[in-house]
Amino acid sequence: MGLEFLARVRRSTLGLAALGALLALTYAGWRAGLGSAAGALWSLANLWLIERLVVAITETDSNGRGVQGSSGAEAAEQTALPSRERTAWHWRRATWPLAALVALFAAGAWLLARLPAPALVAGFLLPFAVMLFKAVALVVMAAPFWARITRAPLRALALVAAIAALAWATAALLPGLGAAQSPGAAHAPAARAPGGSPASEAEAGGGPERFPNLVTVIADALPGSPWAHVLHRFEPVLFSILVALILALVAFFATRKPQLIPGGLQNGVEWAVESLYDFVCGILGPKYGRRYAPYLGTLFIYILAMNLFGLIPFMDSPTSSLNVTVGLAILTFLYVQWTGLRELGVLGYLDHMAGNPRSVLTWAMVPIMVPVHIIGELAKPVSLSCRLFGNVFGEDMLLVAFTTLGVASLSFLRLPFGLPLQIPFLLLALLTSTIQALVFTVLSTIYFLLMLPHEEHGHEEAAQPA
Amino acid sequence: MDFRSALSFALPLGIAIAAIGSGIGLGMIGQGAMQAIGRQPEAAAKVQLAMIIIAALAEALTIYAFVTMFWLSGNIH
Repeated sequence: MGLEFLARVRRSTLGLAALGALLALTYAGWRAGLGSAAGALWSLANLWLIERLVVAITETDSNGRGVQGSSGAEAAEQTALPSRERTAWHWRRATWPLAALVALFAAGAWLLARLPAPALVAGFLLPFAVMLFKAVALVVMAAPFWARITRAPLRALALVAAIAALAWATAALLPGLGAAQSPGAAHAPAARAPGGSPASEAEAGGGPERFPNLVTVIADALPGSPWAHVLHRFEPVLFSILVALILALVAFFATRKPQLIPGGLQNGVEWAVESLYDFVCGILGPKYGRRYAPYLGTLFIYILAMNLFGLIPFMDSPTSSLNVTVGLAILTFLYVQWTGLRELGVLGYLDHMAGNPRSVLTWAMVPIMVPVHIIGELAKPVSLSCRLFGNVFGEDMLLVAFTTLGVASLSFLRLPFGLPLQIPFLLLALLTSTIQALVFTVLSTIYFLLMLPHEEHGHEEAAQPA
Repeated sequence: MDFRSALSFALPLGIAIAAIGSGIGLGMIGQGAMQAIGRQPEAAAKVQLAMIIIAALAEALTIYAFVTMFWLSGNIH
């Protein structure tokens, strides 16, 4: 018991406070969520400081006793002598928790002025509730009748069913909770429409429903302000920059202190780079593979990270917006054309576009071959971008549809959660994210291969375009 | 028939027809790849790579229909 018990209370409260703040954020708006989280944190800090204070005061006592036990008379004299000095020592030890408590109370007053008071109070009471429940649980679990119940599985099952029924009945009986939940639940899907300015309404009007993410939550918190509009507009850009920053950080930390025998992060990153390099070289050959592996490997890692980013709660896949995928595809298109001009020369490039005419028949075909080649080159970025966008977007829509179905299937119980029907599709999303990143990379590689001089690869056993 | 009811018939039908086509295509791709792997198991990795690429090409056609449906489905209601 004692301090260890308090530490356990602190851990449980942190988890519960995070969960409660998320629920409040979803059902009662961002101010309530922030308020309850702030209240719980304030209360935890308060308890911790009080604990420090008590420790600081009682610690000296035990110290004094220890000294007394170890070195006889002098220590006894010392403890006997300066009772005033000892209290001063207590107070000095206790100074910083006291000062911190004062600061904490000032912060609490500021929070009370800023955030809704009921949420703050609920957060403040959370650690005490946890403490109460833990104490009750300790008492009950030590009791002999608890052991008798838990030893028989049937009786334990009956107890769980009874507790669930009781909780359900209480939730149904509480009129305030039920009334608070149903508008909250109705508010959550319709949050975009009434919350925003006419512009955001028009944006949300045609588009299908999507998961809330960090940007939409922030933008809904500031309705009507120009910032919200800008955030909505640049949402995929913000997320793609975030992904790029994360990848850059990983690369930085993996290569900061390179070692001959790599471990952990460096090992993983080296494995990824090496397998991508081997993969590109297997298709393009060693000479060109070495030149284009950095671009193509970056493409794969970046697209994979962006696809998987949407599976993190409160994040969004930037690739589920056509703008990002078109940008990537145009980059590949321009790089391929520039490669053709550089490797083949201007005349060689024109020759390639005309279908390498060598005989009378092929010269006669030139007027047909040129438009065919031009259309083929232009169709490549279109198909690349639409394929990636369609897959990631469709996957997101599938997840939203099944989550909605899962919530709707339990809506008659008035619970704040639903059946997790989307879990099989999350696994499917992992699969399609990887495959689509691979497909984008492989097709880009093949476009490079088609543009490069063909003789170089004639005698190689590497994959040929056939 | 006004354009809303026309759209609400045509969009699911469009996806269904596209799915039939690419389903047949995917089946043939899978059949070919499985036969190739069965004849030459040591080339399984290369065959699988080519299979995935071509399967993605075939699947993309359904995805185009899907994207078109989402672009047009806003006009229904």
